[in-house]
Amino acid sequence: MKRCIVLGKPNVGKTLLVLRLADYMKVKDVDITFQDPGGAKYSRKYPMDIAVRELVGALPHQTKCLQSVSIEFRAGKGKKTVELMDTTGLIEQIHDDPLTRKAMAQTLSALRGAQIIIHIIDAHLAGHEDAVSDPTERDLDMQLAAFAGPRGGYCIVANKMDLPGAKRGLARIRRLFTGYKVLPVSAATGEGLKEVRRHVLRNL
Amino acid sequence: MPAFERRNPNLVLVGLEEGRLSPVEAIQALRTSSDSHTKKREIETESLASSEWRLNEALTELDSLIGLTAVKALVRELVAYIRIQRIREMRQLASEALVLHMVFSGNPGTGKTTCARLMGKLFREMGVLEKGHLVERERADLVGEYIGHTAQKTRDQIKKALGGILFIDEAYSLATGGEKDFGKESISTLIKAMEDNKDRFIVILAGYREEMAKFIQSNPGIRSRFPIHIEFPDYTVEELMLIADLMLKKRDYRLDLAARARLEAHLSRNLGSNSEHSGNARLVRNIIERAIRRQALRLVDRKQLTREELMLIRREDIEGNHEAVHRFG
Repeated sequence: MKRCIVLGKPNVGKTLLVLRLADYMKVKDVDITFQDPGGAKYSRKYPMDIAVRELVGALPHQTKCLQSVSIEFRAGKGKKTVELMDTTGLIEQIHDDPLTRKAMAQTLSALRGAQIIIHIIDAHLAGHEDAVSDPTERDLDMQLAAFAGPRGGYCIVANKMDLPGAKRGLARIRRLFTGYKVLPVSAATGEGLKEVRRHVLRNL
Repeated sequence: MPAFERRNPNLVLVGLEEGRLSPVEAIQALRTSSDSHTKKREIETESLASSEWRLNEALTELDSLIGLTAVKALVRELVAYIRIQRIREMRQLASEALVLHMVFSGNPGTGKTTCARLMGKLFREMGVLEKGHLVERERADLVGEYIGHTAQKTRDQIKKALGGILFIDEAYSLATGGEKDFGKESISTLIKAMEDNKDRFIVILAGYREEMAKFIQSNPGIRSRFPIHIEFPDYTVEELMLIADLMLKKRDYRLDLAARARLEAHLSRNLGSNSEHSGNARLVRNIIERAIRRQALRLVDRKQLTREELMLIRREDIEGNHEAVHRFG
């Protein structure tokens, strides 16, 4: 089974994208496996709308551990299962809370074992940041792209395309991350999910 | 700092968990680690937690050994040193390569091999050694019978030890054979290999104190390459009694008072005798194992046995001094 990891800064819409993608792939009840940083595992089945209501929120670090969903993709005549892994958001500084730090270590650890990498960047935010001062070497997204890009199966998802200013953000992301595949998506409206699906399918 | 420590992504993730590294620094370190991979190692499936757990396990095991204060202190220093060097390196400060070749001197049965084995484990968990296994060899394994044979034999053994520890027992015997002895060739092959494979294995030379001191003094090449010297003093009677208690406890036995007194008397008599086995743990183990067998013999014909009786070692189970000398002579 191939593993597909979804990662990025906090509050860029990782969990919503995972759920919407599952929805798009005709998963009715999402069976989510939560994997504690400590090693404990448990799973819970949610109807889609409840999953969105319970797991997605406006505050950063809503996702506290690895949450994975298995999705079946039709590949040729057969079926292939992909483990879609939703992760805790990565920040630039050292986080105060040891549990969140553990969860971030878990994210990076999972990244090393993933064959498909979806790196989400908030296009809405990128459109509103001061475009004159470009991010430095220290920027998390730059570092993440440099690390994960050469590993194969990598793409950047410019999320929140439904919000104002996101077009400008997308252009900026395309400029900063030339050479990488950038897909404009709105997890909220479902726009662009087709391309994400195709990206996963292509790397199976 | 050894190359594979930098290559060990698990350590990077531990740094992130413990709040010594920010996620950005961690990603940077992981990136350089995968860049420097010439031969990409398989993705480690072992979780981080288990590596840290095993490190603690090995440290606890070391602490549970009786005596050996010098070794314990040294290991603590090394653990701290390696951790700090690792952090320094991640923060892009100069970090020195670790030279961890060691000389262990002391009588047989004073814990040299046990410590070497534990160090292998510790170094593996800390990322200093790839495998951390112990290859225990002596002169006969390294020295050949004809010209050219020695270098080949020594190299073979070193090859087996790569990624772990090469433990050479009675190492001084490599230098005692005189001018034409092949032992010298073995030493120079070893030194060459230590230079060529700097970070890939650790050599521990072990042997009796006086002989080792002479050996090291007479070989400047060896002296300068083995910065760590650890002495394994003989155990005192008190320490030996503690060892005996520990061994018995592990096996669910215990001594009654008379047996304890007899064992203690026996050990202190032996300690003065300056024999080869005085003051070592192997002697204790042999006495205890003998006592367990003798207790079994005493009990085997009885019809009814209580739990207490099965656990108790009595005075008559501990053999007398004359028997012991006979057995170990």
